[in-house]
Amino acid sequence: MSLRDRLSRLTGEGTKTPAPGSRQETISELRQRVDALMTRREGISRGPVRSFGPAVPLEHLVTGEEVEMPQGRFFFSRSRLEGSHVHGLHRVCDLASLSMEAAGILAGSSELGGSNPTDALFLDTETTGLAGGTGTFPFLIGIGWFEHRDFITCQLFARDYSEEKAMLAFLGETAAEKRFLVTFNGRSFDVGLLAARFILNRIPDPLAAMPHLDLLHPSRRLVGHRLENSRLVTLEEFVLGLKREDDIPGQEIPQRYFDWLKRRDGRLLEGVFRHNRLDIVSMASLARHLADLLESPHGHPHAHESDLLSAARLLLDRGRTDQARLRLEALADSGDPDVALSALKSLSLIHKKAGQWDRAAGIWEAMVSRDPLDVFAVEELAKWCEHRSHAFGRAALLVERVLGECGTLASAEQQALAHRLERLLRKASLTGP
Amino acid sequence: MAHVSLEEWLARAEGNRRFRENVTALKHIPASPGSFAPFPGWVHPKLRAVMEKRGISRLYSHQARAVDLVRDGRDVVLVTPTASGKTLCYNLPVLQKILEEPETRALYLFPTKALAQDQMHEIHSLIGELKADIKTFTYDGDTPDDARQAIRKQGHVVVTNPDMLHAGILPHHTKWQKLFSNLRYVVVDELHVYRGVFGSHLTNVFRRLRRICRFYGQDPVFICCSATVANPKEHAENLLEKEVALIDESGAPRAEKTFILYNPPIVNRELGIRQSALTPARNIASELIGNRIQTIVFATSRLNVEVLTKYLKDTFREKIPSDDHFVSGYRGGYLPHLRRAIEKGLRERSIMGVVSTNALELGIDIGDLQACLIAGYPGSIASTWQQAGRAGRRAGHSLAILIARSNPMDQFIVENPDYFFTRSPEHCRVNPDNLLILLHHIKSAAFELPFEEGERFGREDLLELLAYLEEKGVLHRVDQRWHWAAESYPADEVSLRTVNPENVVVIDDTVAGSPKVIAEVDWDGAFTTVHEGAIYMVESQQYHVDRLDLERKKAYVKKVDVDYYTDAMTYTNVKVIDDFDKKMQGRTIVEHGEVQVARKVVGYKKIKFYTSENVGFGDVNLPEKDMHTTSYWFTLPWDLLDTLALRREEVIDGLLGLAYCIHHIAAMLVMADIRDIDRCIGDKSGEWFVRHGKGKRIITSQPGAPGPEVMTDAFDPTLFIFDAYPGGIGFSELLFERHDELMSAARRLIGACACDHGCPMCVGPVLEVGPAAKEASLRILDLMEGS
Ligand SMILES: [Zn+2]
Repeated sequence: MSLRDRLSRLTGEGTKTPAPGSRQETISELRQRVDALMTRREGISRGPVRSFGPAVPLEHLVTGEEVEMPQGRFFFSRSRLEGSHVHGLHRVCDLASLSMEAAGILAGSSELGGSNPTDALFLDTETTGLAGGTGTFPFLIGIGWFEHRDFITCQLFARDYSEEKAMLAFLGETAAEKRFLVTFNGRSFDVGLLAARFILNRIPDPLAAMPHLDLLHPSRRLVGHRLENSRLVTLEEFVLGLKREDDIPGQEIPQRYFDWLKRRDGRLLEGVFRHNRLDIVSMASLARHLADLLESPHGHPHAHESDLLSAARLLLDRGRTDQARLRLEALADSGDPDVALSALKSLSLIHKKAGQWDRAAGIWEAMVSRDPLDVFAVEELAKWCEHRSHAFGRAALLVERVLGECGTLASAEQQALAHRLERLLRKASLTGP
Repeated sequence: MAHVSLEEWLARAEGNRRFRENVTALKHIPASPGSFAPFPGWVHPKLRAVMEKRGISRLYSHQARAVDLVRDGRDVVLVTPTASGKTLCYNLPVLQKILEEPETRALYLFPTKALAQDQMHEIHSLIGELKADIKTFTYDGDTPDDARQAIRKQGHVVVTNPDMLHAGILPHHTKWQKLFSNLRYVVVDELHVYRGVFGSHLTNVFRRLRRICRFYGQDPVFICCSATVANPKEHAENLLEKEVALIDESGAPRAEKTFILYNPPIVNRELGIRQSALTPARNIASELIGNRIQTIVFATSRLNVEVLTKYLKDTFREKIPSDDHFVSGYRGGYLPHLRRAIEKGLRERSIMGVVSTNALELGIDIGDLQACLIAGYPGSIASTWQQAGRAGRRAGHSLAILIARSNPMDQFIVENPDYFFTRSPEHCRVNPDNLLILLHHIKSAAFELPFEEGERFGREDLLELLAYLEEKGVLHRVDQRWHWAAESYPADEVSLRTVNPENVVVIDDTVAGSPKVIAEVDWDGAFTTVHEGAIYMVESQQYHVDRLDLERKKAYVKKVDVDYYTDAMTYTNVKVIDDFDKKMQGRTIVEHGEVQVARKVVGYKKIKFYTSENVGFGDVNLPEKDMHTTSYWFTLPWDLLDTLALRREEVIDGLLGLAYCIHHIAAMLVMADIRDIDRCIGDKSGEWFVRHGKGKRIITSQPGAPGPEVMTDAFDPTLFIFDAYPGGIGFSELLFERHDELMSAARRLIGACACDHGCPMCVGPVLEVGPAAKEASLRILDLMEGS
C-alpha cells in the first residue's frame, strides 16, 4: 500500500462526498480534527486577495531589474526621492540635515556621535510571519539612505526562496558602506530575523555589530503619551502629518507572498512594495522629527508642547541639564497650563539639585501663590523653609492648609504631611518669640 | 516501651503467622562489596583532586567503563540501580572536555523540572570546587527572558527538558549557534520514561537535533541512563537510531535490603475483593514509625496521600501530642516552602514518617530513610525500584514492602515474584514513524532548516511526505529544496506528552450566573466521563452533567447528592485493513496489522454505591469515533470452540474475561497506561462484534441501533488488543512477538486467583463478564495450547 494511501486513510482524505450519518461522514470529521490539529495556527488571516484575469508581471508594476551576484539573482528596485519632495510636514532635503548629536541621544548611544546623516542605513523588512524563529523568511528588504539633498530607497526582493542568498549578500555589501542602522522596532524584530537568515545562508552578518537607532522606543517616549498606540502608521498620521491611501494591512502581507509564489502575479505585491517604501521614508521623516524635538527649543513649528516637555525630560535623563533647562524655561511660559506647571516642576528640581535654592524657592512660591493646594510645591517649600530659611511658622501654615483643605491626598501623603506639620510646630515653638 | 530496631521488627514480622500469610515473597538482598577501578590516566588533575576531596579515590567498575567509552566517542546507555553514581558517568567526561577545550558545550535532558534542578545543584557544586570558569544553567519555561541571551551564549552545560528543546531551542537554533557549533555531549537521563507517544516524539526531536548539529558541523556523543527494563540497549538504539554500547553491570557496593511483596487478605471471596492496600500500609507504617524507624509511604493518588496522612497523624497525636509534624504528607499541590520544610525535616530526622505521591520519587534530597512502603503498584517495575531506592540509598539495612491492590497488574506482580526480582518483563517501545507524529516533526524540521534533495528523516519515503506537505501549502519547493512557507510556528502545534492536546473543560453551573471551571478532561475521556447524564466526581463531590458541548469543548455540570455513580456503555468495532504478519501458535492464528476502530458511547448504567446494584440506564447520543491504528489479534474458529461443549454465551463471556486479563498484562509488558491500549472481541471483517447490552453480552451487527439482539455463529471470534493512538505506537508488534508469554501469564493470573467466578483481579467483575467467564477463559486457554 502506498504511503499516500496510508496518509489519506489516516487523515480520511480522498473519500467521496459522504452520505449524512454514514461512516464516511465520521471519517471526514476525523480528518477535520486531524487537519485542525495539524494546521491550528495557519490560515488565521487568509484575506482573499482577489485578482482576475492573467497574472501581471511584477516589473510592469514595480520599477526594477534583476541583479546578478556570484550567489545568484534577485529582484532589485531603486528609487530616488528628490529633495524638493514633500513627505507629510517635511521636505526631503530637510530630512538629511538631521542632527547627529540628537540622534545619539535618541539611540542612547555615544557611538553615533562621529557619524554623518549620510552614514545612516534605514532598514525595514517584509516577512512571511511574525512568529519568529528560523522559519520566518524576510522576502523583501527595504533600505534607504541620504544622497546629497535626495533620499534613496532600494528594495531587495527574493522572487523565491532560492534568491535569498544573493539578496542577503547584496545587503551585506551595501551595509558595509554605511556606519549605523535606523529601524522601527528593528531591535527586537528585523535585525534578529536577518541574523538568523545570515547564519542559515552562511554569510557574515554585518548588521549585528552596527550602532543602531531603533525609533520605536524614543517615539514612545517623546510622542507616545498622546497616541493610542505607537505603530508607524499612527505616528505618521498624528505626528508626521501623513495619511496613507490604500495601504495594505500588515497582516495580509505573508499570504500575499505565499500566493505570489504560486501565481507570480505582480498585482499581489505592488502594494507590499509601496507599503515598504513608505515605511522607509517615514522612518527618515520620523528620525528628523524626533531629533528636532531635542535639538531646537521650539522643535518643529508643528510640534506639540507636551512633546517638547517629554524631549526636555529625555535630555535631563541623558545628563544634558543645560539644554534641558533652556527648553523648560521656554515651556514654563506655555499657554498650556499643564505643560507650564510640569515644566516649572522639573525646572525647580534642576535648580534644587544645583543648589540654587533661591531660584527653586522662587518657582515654588509662584506655584503656591497660584494654587495654595499644590501639594508638590507646598511640600518642597516646606522642606526649604524647615531646613534652609528656618521659616517654621510659614511652613506650618502652608502644610496645615493643604492638610485641611485638600481632599485628594493619599493616606501615605497625608501621614507624611501630618508628621512634617508636627515637627514644624515643635521647631516653631522652640524658636518662636 | 523500648523501641525495636528494623532487624528486630523484621524478625518479629517474619515470625508472625498472620503477617506471613499475606507475604507472597520475602527476599533478602545481601550487601555486596562492589568492584572498583582506578581513575583513567586522562582525568585532569584538578578534576581528580575535587573527586578525592569528596572521598572518591577510585571509580566503580561501571563508571570506569562508561567514562572510557564516552572518551572514545561511543554513545552509551547506562543501566544501574539508584545511588550507583551514575551522574559521575556523564559529569566527569563532560567537565574533562571543557577543561581541555573551554569552548565545549553539553546539553542535559531530564524529563521533569525537579530532576533538572537537582542535577543543576550537583554539577554546580562540582564546578564550584573546581574553581573553573564553567557555566551551567537550566533553561526551561521558568527561565526569565533577560537571562536567556546569556545562557545561549555562555552556558557550557545547559540543562533542559525535551519539550523545551522541541519548542524553544531547536526552532531558534541560530540564537544558539555557539552551543550547537560546539556541542560535544548530549546527556539523556531517565531514558525509560521516553516510551510510547512521548518516546516516539522524542526520537523525532533527536532526528531534528542531530540534523541541526550537522548543519553546525557537530556530531555529539549521547550519554543515556535508564532504569532497568527488558530492552535498554534496543530502546536506546531505537531512540537514537545508531549503535549504543550497553553498560548494565553495576560495580557499586550494595547495602543490605529486605524486599517484601505483600498481598492483602481477601475479604469477599465471591466478589474477589481484597482488603484495601491502605489498611496494611497504615498498620505497618504506624509500627515502624512508632519504633523510630524513619519511613516513607508511597500512595498512588493525592487523595490516598491525604487519607493516609490523616490516619497516621491521628495515631501519633494520641502518643506524641506535642509534635504534629512527626508524620507529614507530601505531594505536588503543596507550596514550595512547605515542601522544602518537609524535605529538611526528613534530612534532620525530625519527621519520622512521610506519605507521598511519586513527587518524591526522584531527584529530591531527603536523606537516607530506613523503610519504604509502596501502597499500590506504581505502574512499572522500574518505578517500584526507584521508590524502594528511597530507603537505604547508601548504607545500613533497609526495608521495602510493595502492597498490592485489587487489580490484575498489582496481582500479577506480587503473585509472580520471579518477574519482579529477576527478569523484568517491561519493554520500552516507540514508533517514531507513526505518520501523524512524523509529519509534525517534518514540519518542525523544515521550519528549522529547509529540506534538501537526498536528505533522510525517518524511515518513510521523505520525498513523498514533503510532496504531501507541499500540496497542503505549508512547504514550498524550489531548486530541490523544501522551505517552510506558512505563518505559523509548527512546534507549538504539538505536545510531546499527550496523545491529543485538546481538552474538555468541566464547568460548574450550580450557582446561576457564576460558572466555575472545576476540571479538565482529555478529549477521549470526555466521551465516557462527561456525557450528558453522567455523574462526574471531583474530590468526592458529585456533579450531574447537564450538557456536553463538543464543539466548544465544554461540559456543564451541577452539584448533586445521589447514591449512584454512572458507568458508560460503549461498543468498539474493529475491522482489519492490512495484516503485517501472521503465525500459527498452538491451534490459533495470531496476527498483527493495521485496523480501523470505531467506538461509540451508546448509553450508561447507574450503579448504586456499596451494593453495586444496577439501578437504571440512560441513553447517550454522541458521534462515533473512528481511528486507524495498529493491532495485535488472534482468532479462534467456532469448530474448535465447539469442542469445549460450552454454550455460546459462555464462550463469549470467557473470551471477554480473557480479553480483560490480556489487556492488563499487555499494558504491563509495554509499560503503558491501561488507557494507551484497548481491546475488542469481534470478527476480522468488523461486521460482527460483541456488545455489552443491558444485562448481558450479545453478538450483534447493529451498532447503536436498538434492533434485535442476535446471537450468531456467523463469525469466528477474534480478540483484538490495539494501540489507542491513531497510526499506532508500536505496541502491537511486540505483543504479536510475545503472544506465548501473554497467554501463559494470563493462565497463571487467572489460575492462581482466589476468587470463585471471576473478579476485577483476573477476568473482570463477575457482574460484567458473567459467572462462567473465569472457568470458560481457562478452558479456552487450554484449548489454544492444544496438544
Ligand atoms: Zn479473580
